[in-house]
Amino acid sequence: MFKYTLQRILYMCMVLLIITAMCFVLVRMLPPAELPPGDPHTEVVEARREALGYNKPYMVQFGIFLQNVFTKFDWGISDKLYFGRDVAQIFFEKLPVSIIVNLYSILFSIPIGIGLGIFAALKKNTWVDYLLSTATMIVISVPSFVYAFIIQYIFSYKLGWLPFLMKAGTDYFTWDMFVSMLPAVMSLSFGTIAGFTRTTRAELTEVLTSEFMLLARTKGLTKAQATIRHAMRNCFVVVVPAIFGSFIGVLGGSLIIERIFAIPGVGGLTINAINGRDYPIFMLTTCFYTAIGLVASLVVDISYGFIDPRIRMGSKK
Amino acid sequence: MKKLIALLLAVVMVFGLVACGEKTPETTAPNETQGTTPPETTAPQAEATYTWKDSVVTLATNWNPHTYQTTDDSYPADFLRVGLYGFYFNDELHPKDGVDPYGGYVIIPEMAAALPVDVTEQVKAEHPEYGIPESATEGFAYVIDLNPNAVWEDGTPINADTYVESMKRLLDVRFLNYRASDYFAGNFCVAGAEAYYNSGKTVYVDDATVDFSALTLGEDGVYCTADGYPVYVAVSAPIAYFDGANSLADYVGAYGEEYFSMTHWEALAAAANEEGYAPLTEETKAYLTDVITGNPNWNEDESYLPNYVTYYKEFPVVEYDGTVGLYKTGDYQITLVLGKSLAGFNLLYNLSGNWIVNIDLYDACLTEEQGVWSSTYNTSVETTLSYGPYKMVSYQTDKAMRFERNENWYGYTDGQHKYIDPTDGETYDMYMTTAIDTQVVGEAATRKMMFLKGELMSYGLQADDFATYRQSEYCYATPSETIFFLILNGHMESIKNREASADFDQTTTDLEVMTLKSFHQAMGLTYDKDLFAATISPARSGGFGIIGTNYIYDPETGAKYRDTDQAKQVLCDFYAVDVSAFASLDDAVASITGYDPEQAKIFYQQAFDEAIAAGFITDNDGDGISDQTVKIEYCISSDSDFMTKTVDYLNEKATEVTAGTPFEGKILFTKSAPYGNEWSNKIKAGLADTVLGGWSGSALDPFGLTDLYTNPSYQYDAAWYDATQVMLTINVPVNGVDTDVTMNLKQWSDALNGATVEVDGVEYNYGSGAADVETRLDILAACEGKILESYNYLPMLQDGGMSLLSQQVFYVIDEYNPIMGRGGITYAKYNYTDAEWAAYVAEQGGELQY
Repeated sequence: MFKYTLQRILYMCMVLLIITAMCFVLVRMLPPAELPPGDPHTEVVEARREALGYNKPYMVQFGIFLQNVFTKFDWGISDKLYFGRDVAQIFFEKLPVSIIVNLYSILFSIPIGIGLGIFAALKKNTWVDYLLSTATMIVISVPSFVYAFIIQYIFSYKLGWLPFLMKAGTDYFTWDMFVSMLPAVMSLSFGTIAGFTRTTRAELTEVLTSEFMLLARTKGLTKAQATIRHAMRNCFVVVVPAIFGSFIGVLGGSLIIERIFAIPGVGGLTINAINGRDYPIFMLTTCFYTAIGLVASLVVDISYGFIDPRIRMGSKK
Repeated sequence: MKKLIALLLAVVMVFGLVACGEKTPETTAPNETQGTTPPETTAPQAEATYTWKDSVVTLATNWNPHTYQTTDDSYPADFLRVGLYGFYFNDELHPKDGVDPYGGYVIIPEMAAALPVDVTEQVKAEHPEYGIPESATEGFAYVIDLNPNAVWEDGTPINADTYVESMKRLLDVRFLNYRASDYFAGNFCVAGAEAYYNSGKTVYVDDATVDFSALTLGEDGVYCTADGYPVYVAVSAPIAYFDGANSLADYVGAYGEEYFSMTHWEALAAAANEEGYAPLTEETKAYLTDVITGNPNWNEDESYLPNYVTYYKEFPVVEYDGTVGLYKTGDYQITLVLGKSLAGFNLLYNLSGNWIVNIDLYDACLTEEQGVWSSTYNTSVETTLSYGPYKMVSYQTDKAMRFERNENWYGYTDGQHKYIDPTDGETYDMYMTTAIDTQVVGEAATRKMMFLKGELMSYGLQADDFATYRQSEYCYATPSETIFFLILNGHMESIKNREASADFDQTTTDLEVMTLKSFHQAMGLTYDKDLFAATISPARSGGFGIIGTNYIYDPETGAKYRDTDQAKQVLCDFYAVDVSAFASLDDAVASITGYDPEQAKIFYQQAFDEAIAAGFITDNDGDGISDQTVKIEYCISSDSDFMTKTVDYLNEKATEVTAGTPFEGKILFTKSAPYGNEWSNKIKAGLADTVLGGWSGSALDPFGLTDLYTNPSYQYDAAWYDATQVMLTINVPVNGVDTDVTMNLKQWSDALNGATVEVDGVEYNYGSGAADVETRLDILAACEGKILESYNYLPMLQDGGMSLLSQQVFYVIDEYNPIMGRGGITYAKYNYTDAEWAAYVAEQGGELQY
């Protein structure tokens, strides 16, 4: 297991380096953002690009980039979107709010989603199951921004119960802030709830029909005891890695939801950085999300081994 | 378990019923404000708060006056900064004197203590280092007394040192400040600013000014300019001629033999240095000439060579003192020396901005890494010090910012910042607003809901809103400069090439008809411009000339070009309106729709006859209808509903008007692939056929627009319309005698914009200050008429926007002024305090009606 994990981490680093190099070269191949013909600032922009080393060979630039990151954790200074500011500082300033909103969403969604999934599985082939399954499919099919507008329209505009936008400030754990986050949290939650409901229902339904469940009942366990002690554990072999994945996903933010509810998170940073040719921000966000994606897949894979002792990672027959 | 579930379901149902039964504001609240007028204006209540609640899509991130780049970033400037001079409505023109309210504006000293005093003669004599021309007697040097009451928000005085030290930092060669060129590249040119900014640098200057007839061959075989600077061919370096983004190599790489002669391209490319420049020698000059003139498809001759070359200019190392024309002549007095003369309105207009920074804070915000300087000045509350009417009190990146009154601002106590309200003739203090709350609201739908709940001061109408709100008494239309016109392809060579391609079926489709002027004329009369605007973009209106309604030709009075008799007459002439049939010229202009289906049919018939004669199309079955469909590709940058609506409208009306003509059902507009930023190049190269394009320029300089239609660097139709071959005769004063002068259109445009043009040994210059304004208007109108006559540009839309203003506030003037707007935050007046407004909105059921 240890060897396998070490091997995966090594591969992960290699993949990260390759993706980073590709993104670095590709984004720097983009021409600078155009100014109107004859704009007197063109010369200044070009001089600044020259000074920043953007006209050097790409691999030389990449070498400097890696050196700065590894020796000083210096991701550079924003030259466009947040002129003059340290990009790492901007990123980590904006990251908490994305995490908090997504975390609230996950914390709401997982118990509700799993609960509904269990309920649907236990009521398999009844009207309750059909209702939940249909609702789940509909909810999964509709993108989250649609819920965002519906929630905004009903709860903020018509009923006036919730604010339209997230509150300004960094007092993330106050009641006012929590209330202002609710529309976004609700919008993000629908899809996640539906996802967990569907996964849990599917897994639990399969487990409940297994032979060992019959054995458990014949041993004298009640249905509830058999379900909780045996069926749930087996069902969670699939559900728990999904929970891990969701928790790691909270770091990513949500471009559209953040825009609709004016959440100053990291959701739109990458797109804005590409449009604005803000290379340092693009590279930081790209590296961060690539690393998160790789770590997430590693954690999920390894988690199988912990949840179900029958699964042995990296073992050879 | 069942009981528990039943209980839960019951709770949910009860909750649902309660929610359904909740009476919404829309159904129950009486709308007491609809159709009523706001309460009478009163003086602001003491201790009351008046908060301007604003929204933006993108929040400013850097409002440093030396480095900001976008209009989003300039947002806080109106609150935090004040220029040396400011614009205000002219109080002397108000209803009590029987004059229309605020028909003009005045310029008053703000950060200055008095108007500038011209000291050109004195400075010329005492400071020859600033290079004031020997012949100049005025307009080059000014003494400006500074306002001694001006301080930073923390009370620190602002004096002459602040101005000089700020300019020194702005132009510092190390900092590469984005805004530095604002002080030397345009008309407002501080003497020596460019030399100091480039101190010790060598740069390739790409301004298309290299005069090939004046080149001299250096000892090293490289051509030099008359000033001795070596000249280089920009081979793989971006050039201004290609919008500063592409190089000749990019174009050759993209189009190759299709447009360029490739015989010597490799040799030219090989001569380039690592920066992409090749020294201009006999050899490389010949190569370059062959590349751009050797293929007729590129349609250029040797006169285009200056566009492809730069010169290598070396700037000596200089000190600020004795170089830059801004120096201290007293604790509260500066002397400003200009590199180009500037006086009157234009001088004061340029000084309505400001470059000063708080030196201590500025220096503390500077960082240097590997030779690159950056600054965090004016990127947060901590790095911002105001000297304007408001100060920043909170800022959260990409979220919100808040400004409150800066009690240390001199304007609140100097007695100058008062105005007479034209609605009641009473005197009020300016800046009634006590705080400004600005937050990011990304979606228009959210903005609309917030506005209707009273949480925002204004809402810009979207396409879906016009039917509901355009008649609202709270709706304001704001015109802007741009005229959108349909450009029609006339590039015959390109069209022939397209038709020659293997997948083009000439028996069913034709493109060549598009090049006929009669076809352009027919298209021009096919569309009702106002109806077009109402259908596809209701915030805009019909466009009829190539110069929009918003351009002011005389900034001193605010008079607009489109209101002049010359401008009206040219439209009547172009649209063949018989002025004598109307009571006035205004009535004649008002009758223009640009739509004449009967005349259009005649032109379609004429185009058909010409096309048959030229062999562009056939009529093999002799039914009098073209065998081919004229397929017009509408060039899109990216697809959108707007594009779809536009193309649908163009097709629908073309089908209507061509009924009964040889082109009945034979004109088809289709959308191109999304070309992104390449769309303009596609149009210029004749690779796409039409687009709604537009130009806008400075609202105070309609004369400069002629260059956009006559200069190949800008022209969309440069490949098939040569302004140097279009002759125009205008009756203008020459040495005081009215004379018919004939020049080509390009020469008229150049002369109108200040260049001295020589024709038959006589020099003409009708630039600002060189000719009276009436003469300049005559020339501008004649040029506009000549450009319209080409029918390459069919005016369609006058740009503009519409927005709703909250019932909490009102403007003291309804009519939009291109310089003053409607007074902005300076003149905004409130019907309700914040507390009253909250109560009022609640009283209306939380949802307001507009």
